[in-house]
Amino acid sequence: MKIAICSTGTEPESLVADRFARADYFAIYDSKTLQFSFVDNSAKREGSGAGGKAVKVLGDLDVEIVLVPELGPKAIDALVAFDIKSFQYKQGETVRAALYSYFEKKLPEMLESSVQGKH
Amino acid sequence: MKIAILSGKGGTGKTTISVNLFSSLKKATLIDTDVEEPNSHLFLKGKTYHEEIVYKKYPVVDHDICNLCGKCGDFCNFNAIIPAKKKVLVFDDLCHDCGGCKLVCPTNAISYADKAIGSIYYQSIEENKQFLYGKLSVGEISGVRIIEDLKNLTKKEEVLLIDSPPGTSCSTVSAIEGSDYCIIAAEPTPFGLSDMKMVVELLREEKMNFGVVVNKSNLGNNDIYEYLEKEKIELLESIEFREEFAKIIARGELLVNHSDYVKDKMSNIIKKVLGDTYA
Repeated sequence: MKIAICSTGTEPESLVADRFARADYFAIYDSKTLQFSFVDNSAKREGSGAGGKAVKVLGDLDVEIVLVPELGPKAIDALVAFDIKSFQYKQGETVRAALYSYFEKKLPEMLESSVQGKH
Repeated sequence: MKIAILSGKGGTGKTTISVNLFSSLKKATLIDTDVEEPNSHLFLKGKTYHEEIVYKKYPVVDHDICNLCGKCGDFCNFNAIIPAKKKVLVFDDLCHDCGGCKLVCPTNAISYADKAIGSIYYQSIEENKQFLYGKLSVGEISGVRIIEDLKNLTKKEEVLLIDSPPGTSCSTVSAIEGSDYCIIAAEPTPFGLSDMKMVVELLREEKMNFGVVVNKSNLGNNDIYEYLEKEKIELLESIEFREEFAKIIARGELLVNHSDYVKDKMSNIIKKVLGDTYA
């Protein structure tokens, strides 16, 4: 299973991003190989609809879980359509710490949007 | 003859020049294409005799036919249509109504539905004077459809003035497209000049005829005049800033009803752009 975390950098010790669709990178943790890989978030440069596009980026990578700071309404709709579950991390921690918090079941699942849509 | 009034920077006098030129003409049609913040009607104080709702089309996917090939999503520049695992998501508010997704769909699974995005208001001002303005609904992404409708409705008018939106993006391009002449309303400030340069770039790229009216000409500095001379751009008129003008405009009244100075300026602009017979 692949778990994505919104990241500001390309290391497990990088800080988590403060936005989902405009995050610079997605850290992808693969529970089969126990390895992190990092992908550039191509949705961050979109003029509009970055939320839906970012979810598509994750869906194409077969991500099943994503750890996020906030989510808008379009991202939530898209996550449902791609069968991806989302959990909200605390801002200011590292990618690795966010992942451990998820494993320890400390992160709340996001079932509805936490912020308003931004177009 | 179609004449667009545009500016780049907001607040330089597009609407002031548009409505005062309109009032100075014997026979003319004015359209306010600044559909995100229309103001001309507040000066003209006409009565709306007809309102027409403007719709945009957005895609509806027939999931019995769709094979989830993903071509529509790859095509859409605005992420308004996103193929997911079992269905295709449509975000109608992001759709720019280009029709592309239907064209690229290999199974013909896409049809279009209508969504109201705003209105066009028809107003009678006085004899031989027609005025139309558009208004985009709050939160809608693009007013281009309304602007195109306004222009289609008035394409046969002999003298058409087009009060354009600020900036140099899609809605401005759509407003000025097909005009015979463009009047840039500029102000002699660093900001007015900076934004005007973008308009000049746009008009040159579109190969359009244009001239400049410097509004509030006694404020700011001389940079704009030097720029016009260097670039060999026609200075149609310059209109002074006067406190009384600001007060008249602030009350929503027409300058030509109060000032012979402005009346002369308007008739000079008309002579230069349309010819003596119209002034």
